[in-house]
Amino acid sequence: MGIKGNLRVTRARSWPCVLLVACLGHSLAAAAADPESEQIADLRKELDKSMQMIRELSQKVHDLEARAAQQPAPPAAAPGVTPATPATAQTPAAPAPAAPAPTAPAPAVPPAAVAAAAPAPPAGPTTPETASRLTQLEQTVAQMAANAWQRAEDTGMPMHGFADVGVGTHNAEFPQYQGADIAELDFFLTPRLGERTRALFELNFEVGSDGTVSVDLERAQIGYQFSDSATVWVGRFHTPYGFYNTAFHHGQWIAIALRRPRFIEFEDHGGIMPAHTVGMWVTGSERLGDMKVTYDAYLGNSQRIFDGILDMNNAGVSRGSAIVGGNLGLLPGGVLDGLKVGVDAFQTRIEDQDPTPAAFPQVSPYFTQVKSYGAYAAYDTDRWEDIAELHFFDDTDLTGHTGAHHSDAGFIQMGYRAGRYTPYGRYERGSFQQSDPYFAAQLNGNSYDREALGLRFDVDLSSALKIELAKTSFTDRIIRTWGEALIQYAIRF
Amino acid sequence: MCTGSADPRRAPTRAAGCALLALLAAVATVAAADAHADLPPVRLSDLPASWRDDLGQVFDLHTMQGRAVVLTMAYATCHRVCPVTIRDLQRLQQDFDRRGLTAEFIVVGYDPDADDPAAWHQYRRTRHLTRDNWHFLVGTRADVQRIARQLGFDFWKMDEHVIHDSRIVRFDEHGTLIATYGPAGLQFTQR
Repeated sequence: MGIKGNLRVTRARSWPCVLLVACLGHSLAAAAADPESEQIADLRKELDKSMQMIRELSQKVHDLEARAAQQPAPPAAAPGVTPATPATAQTPAAPAPAAPAPTAPAPAVPPAAVAAAAPAPPAGPTTPETASRLTQLEQTVAQMAANAWQRAEDTGMPMHGFADVGVGTHNAEFPQYQGADIAELDFFLTPRLGERTRALFELNFEVGSDGTVSVDLERAQIGYQFSDSATVWVGRFHTPYGFYNTAFHHGQWIAIALRRPRFIEFEDHGGIMPAHTVGMWVTGSERLGDMKVTYDAYLGNSQRIFDGILDMNNAGVSRGSAIVGGNLGLLPGGVLDGLKVGVDAFQTRIEDQDPTPAAFPQVSPYFTQVKSYGAYAAYDTDRWEDIAELHFFDDTDLTGHTGAHHSDAGFIQMGYRAGRYTPYGRYERGSFQQSDPYFAAQLNGNSYDREALGLRFDVDLSSALKIELAKTSFTDRIIRTWGEALIQYAIRF
Repeated sequence: MCTGSADPRRAPTRAAGCALLALLAAVATVAAADAHADLPPVRLSDLPASWRDDLGQVFDLHTMQGRAVVLTMAYATCHRVCPVTIRDLQRLQQDFDRRGLTAEFIVVGYDPDADDPAAWHQYRRTRHLTRDNWHFLVGTRADVQRIARQLGFDFWKMDEHVIHDSRIVRFDEHGTLIATYGPAGLQFTQR
């Protein structure tokens, strides 16, 4: 067989493939469109038929009542059919809705009116039969509606999440890299459970400091809502200190800024605070007039330092130490609507499982009692998103070699929403005593400050482009300053 | 149109291209089918009836039958999507006013855990949405999920955030769903 023969064979092989794919595609299309739409169409027809019957029967009832009204009747035998009235019409503060437009066609008989008509007393020899048929029809329609809803409900667990990619003169999280980067793909699973049972799982595919992709179960928490003012969570959750750590999570699409403040980054991205806790968390809110008070209280495994990074001890602790903390917030409401202020504190005992730094007395392992106190304010309105946080650390070296240490960190961020554009600015600073084993043992425990100006542009409702210019300075351990120009494309799905 | 290549070495590539084209056509068919399914076959009387308004009063949604109804869903602390949707609602209201038509404007809260009647009352006051044909409703989680599913409001909760799109639906005086307004301005599909 020559070239032509091969060509014919190739064509003969390719067309069945094309047809197969086309058929498969159309089958998919048909499968996607037909069964559901046919079921809905059938249901629609049945409902329309039933509604038509109801209208006819209602008309008959109406005629019979009209005829009965023309005849003399016993005084207690003929209460009128009460027209449906909006509930708000009964309250002076929420007046009745406006009347239908003058040009509007006459409305169909509302079901409420049918329901009101159903128990009408006998007005003639055929009324009980009519009322009985009406009742049956009502039950049929209600059952059909319930069945339709049941079918609509059965759609499994939805999967949602976030992703972002970027390019810049440095990597936003790991400045040793530059160029293009994939940051994270964050799957967010919220299985639908009972009315009070809650569950939240966040599975994150992220690039680490070594440039490889790893998978992390960022959050895995199951909870029970006792009331609006108390939900108890057990599992791994975002430690509720300050405002940012529980207002913004792994998906960068949700935040105005391109990245989190450095000191409250997640642990494996350079954060020096325990962003995750494995334990129990009680959270809730209570309204007091216009004001709202929020609270969090938590108890969990104390964290450790391993490979220079805080680790939240997912499997439990071996020495029985714990983190305990709380957060109290106030939303004043009224003219200060959008403002939240609060205070927070936690205490934990951190074990450094890495080899002791050379500058420290050679004790292994090091234990540090970390006490953190913080205050925050956030002003979040349709126009402004302003956040400020301040955290103090009073740490004590439990081995008795380096004594007590005081450090602090904070940031202020202002953003202005102007349609699809949100310019923002942020200043952040961390001043961490390097004689404190807690900070000295962490890879990113050095003092720093950073200034950043950025712009978020909402491409559409599910994607945003962010640009940030920043200057970061390390002010101890290694003295270094660098500028950054960063672009990020973040989506949600 | 897919035709055979004179070069047999390119034929597999060509075939793959054709297959991709066919697949895209099929996907387009699915998308077209979805577009036709944009208007859910639901009536006002099919929706959950029992709600509470921003004063905490019982509100029976079925009593809106007989009036034109414009309905959307929102949450009170949303500052990205909901303000746009509310502005679209206000534009619709102005349009109705210009044409001498009346309608009930209903905003159903996505998040009954966070947005109680007081939160909506505050929302109305601060945004001057005080016309008495505007109703801000709070329901049970089950009813909120149900009405969202019935009317095609796709949303999910992430902690205190509600991730959602902008969507407005319109019922006529007979309680028939006649239009949906999409996120891109006031483009809409109409029955």
